[in-house]
Amino acid sequence: MRAAASLQSTRTPWRKRLSEPQRLVWLILAALLLACAIASPLFLQPENLSNVFLVQPVGLGLAALGQAFVVISGGIDLSIGSVISLLSSLAAGLYRSQPGLSPVIVALFLVALGAAAGSINGLIVVRLRVAPFMATLATMSLFQGAVLFYAPRTIGGIPKSYRFISDGQVGGVPMSIILFIIVMAACLYVLRMNRLGKHIYAVGSDPYVSQISGIPVRRVRFLSYLICGILVGIASAFMASRLGGGGPKVGVGYELDSITAVVIGGVSLAGGSGSLLGTFAGVLIIGVFYNIMNLLSVNAYLQIVLKGLVLIAAVSFYAKRKV
Amino acid sequence: MSGGQSAGHAFGEIERMPDDQTVLKLHAITKTFPGVKALDDVSLDFVRGEVHGLVGENGAGKSTLMKILSGVYQPDAGQVFLNGAPVSFRNPHEAQLAGISIIFQEFSLIRGFDVTDNVFLNREPTLGFGHMDKRTARERTQALLSEIGIELNISRKVEELTVVQQQVVEIVKALSVTASVLIMDEPSAALTDKELAKLFDIIRMLKSKGVTVIYISHMLEEIFQIADRVTVLKDGKVMGTRPAAELTRDDLVRMMVGRTIEDYFPDLGKEPGQAVLEVQGVSRAGKLSDVSLELHAGEILGIAGMVGSGRNLLARCILGLEPFDAGRVRIRGTARLCRSFREAMDAGFGYVTDDRKALGILGRMTITENLTIASLRDYLSAGFLRRRREDTDARGQVEKLRIRSTGITQAVETLSGGNQQKVLISRWLLRSPDILVISEPTRGIDVGAKAEIYRILRELAAAGKAILMISSELAEVIGMSDRIVVMRSGRVEGVIDQHEGKASEEQIMSLAVGHAWSFANRGAAS
Repeated sequence: MRAAASLQSTRTPWRKRLSEPQRLVWLILAALLLACAIASPLFLQPENLSNVFLVQPVGLGLAALGQAFVVISGGIDLSIGSVISLLSSLAAGLYRSQPGLSPVIVALFLVALGAAAGSINGLIVVRLRVAPFMATLATMSLFQGAVLFYAPRTIGGIPKSYRFISDGQVGGVPMSIILFIIVMAACLYVLRMNRLGKHIYAVGSDPYVSQISGIPVRRVRFLSYLICGILVGIASAFMASRLGGGGPKVGVGYELDSITAVVIGGVSLAGGSGSLLGTFAGVLIIGVFYNIMNLLSVNAYLQIVLKGLVLIAAVSFYAKRKV
Repeated sequence: MSGGQSAGHAFGEIERMPDDQTVLKLHAITKTFPGVKALDDVSLDFVRGEVHGLVGENGAGKSTLMKILSGVYQPDAGQVFLNGAPVSFRNPHEAQLAGISIIFQEFSLIRGFDVTDNVFLNREPTLGFGHMDKRTARERTQALLSEIGIELNISRKVEELTVVQQQVVEIVKALSVTASVLIMDEPSAALTDKELAKLFDIIRMLKSKGVTVIYISHMLEEIFQIADRVTVLKDGKVMGTRPAAELTRDDLVRMMVGRTIEDYFPDLGKEPGQAVLEVQGVSRAGKLSDVSLELHAGEILGIAGMVGSGRNLLARCILGLEPFDAGRVRIRGTARLCRSFREAMDAGFGYVTDDRKALGILGRMTITENLTIASLRDYLSAGFLRRRREDTDARGQVEKLRIRSTGITQAVETLSGGNQQKVLISRWLLRSPDILVISEPTRGIDVGAKAEIYRILRELAAAGKAILMISSELAEVIGMSDRIVVMRSGRVEGVIDQHEGKASEEQIMSLAVGHAWSFANRGAAS
């Protein structure tokens, strides 16, 4: 490396590449699957596998993609869960008053409201200059309060036509998977092929350098919250369909699970690094974890304790590798 | 997001070139920061295709000038002309688009991005709707690299590159727009000799293509090697611009320091006592090499050197704030390795840092709280802080050091710089340390307060304390130190005993910038 005559560097060895969290996470997932297969014979049943991989991960997956955008840009969003609760309730309430509404209209309405919620977060962060943690902690309370005010209890009655979003099939392929793949592809495009994605990484990585390079730092931050809001809107539309209703508890745990997924997936909470595919692996790990816990009939509260331990283990494992 | 501008040619024609070939002209630039006139009526011309060296002491205004040229700062008065037209930039990006690129000491690269992404940061070629044209970006980066004759894997991340490779990325970034002026701020700071030679090759190549290179350095050797003309800045003023060929090193050093030492310094100390601190061969890869020195009771030992010479790092190593690879530190005759600052405090050190605001005062807390923070243990009884005793001691210190305030409950951030500094010194006096390490004791302090700080330091020494004083101000080092250690590039270049006659600023400067100056005390380190 010291020889100055040629500045050519050698390629990064594959071992080092594999040790990057966003790649390593797939190895961890594989190991976890192996362990689950050994631990419970039920795990490999086709019905269980389709539940774990095709149904469960979609809602959290969509929310975690949104969280990933915000975290990569250097922020965080704690309001995701309460937005999902609020929007799913609104969807159910809307159908209750106007049962004949087209599913497309309702879904688009939810996405627009998600975008609005994301914009509120973004504006508080970039205009009012409130730290992202505090800003979204406040809006979490705001949205959660709003949903409890609007619908203290679960509202059902979402019609079958709407439930096509989660339960339908197109040519034998589940709609949930089609939806997720389309959204994932769009997100991957924005983050990897579009200059907005470059700028999101740049702003999260080094706001000062970004600023002196003329990148509109505040606009980029705002846009990452907006994108997150849109994705949370889509997640809400999906959840309302899957559950056939909405309520104040629909999104509970989503803010923390999405952050967990993002972190396990190798996105640095300091911003500027990580990938969406890694995030998705993180989502699968969380799904598999819940699933095996249920299969092994672990007490639900104990599950939460174990989840905390797993998170500490995962993050400290990554932290050690960095040095 | 401004649209995807075309990256342009590397070495575009300069429009409206005036007859005298002046590319960049500064007219009467003035810039004031609170308490300091950083630039005072600076006028300068830069000619097409020249390498223009810019030298001056620490704080002479070089960096401020460059930051104005590149749009980081805006001047209070005066005007910059580029190719005859008045210009002003809001940020370095605008300056770069206009043709002035700067390579900062701290690189302006995104560490996790690869070479191509950094070169085209915020100027990503796109095919519309922000869809990035990565191929074009890669091809252009590759073409620019071959143009300056450098091989570099463009898909490597910047954080994996060596310093000189990162510099190459900065240069390529500058060239990817039409660069007519390229400013390099201390480019050699982290380079080996071989890498420096490579950098000079690149600079000569740029020059032959008509690019004006402004080269800032305190390494005079480098200036003579590469510069066509040299401008000396001092205290924010231009001391002169000369062709490098007409200058000798002595001329340059004289232009850089030429000032009279004011006589507000107290007398030197008497015979020093025993050695309380012995540093023996302390080294740290690439930063410090084989540094040895001795500090005696009752003595003020000044450490001089340019920024980056390792002065502060050395102090931080001794104080357990930074690790070092080899060497020993002996305190009062026994080897003692401080692994943390807590241990250093217990070993009898006090430390006033050079960054009063960030690493010194607790701005919103009161004078009392700031004074006792390092010795709270002494004010505990049965687990409770004894406020009244804290207040009594604080009042005592305020009186003794003449800290001007409205009372001991005043928030420290509202005190003047000089009084803040006194608070910091008092903080350590409460612990009565044997060794006080103080860095830049009078930075940003007015003359009156300076004299008082000097008096306090000298009194401490007279009372038997040992003081290690790091300073960028030559007059201060000469005026205060019993002995002076001059550092350069992580090494002790010389030790001057001032009891045998005061050092001259030239003498210290030439050691600090690496000009071979022969004098009796050379190499007399301990």
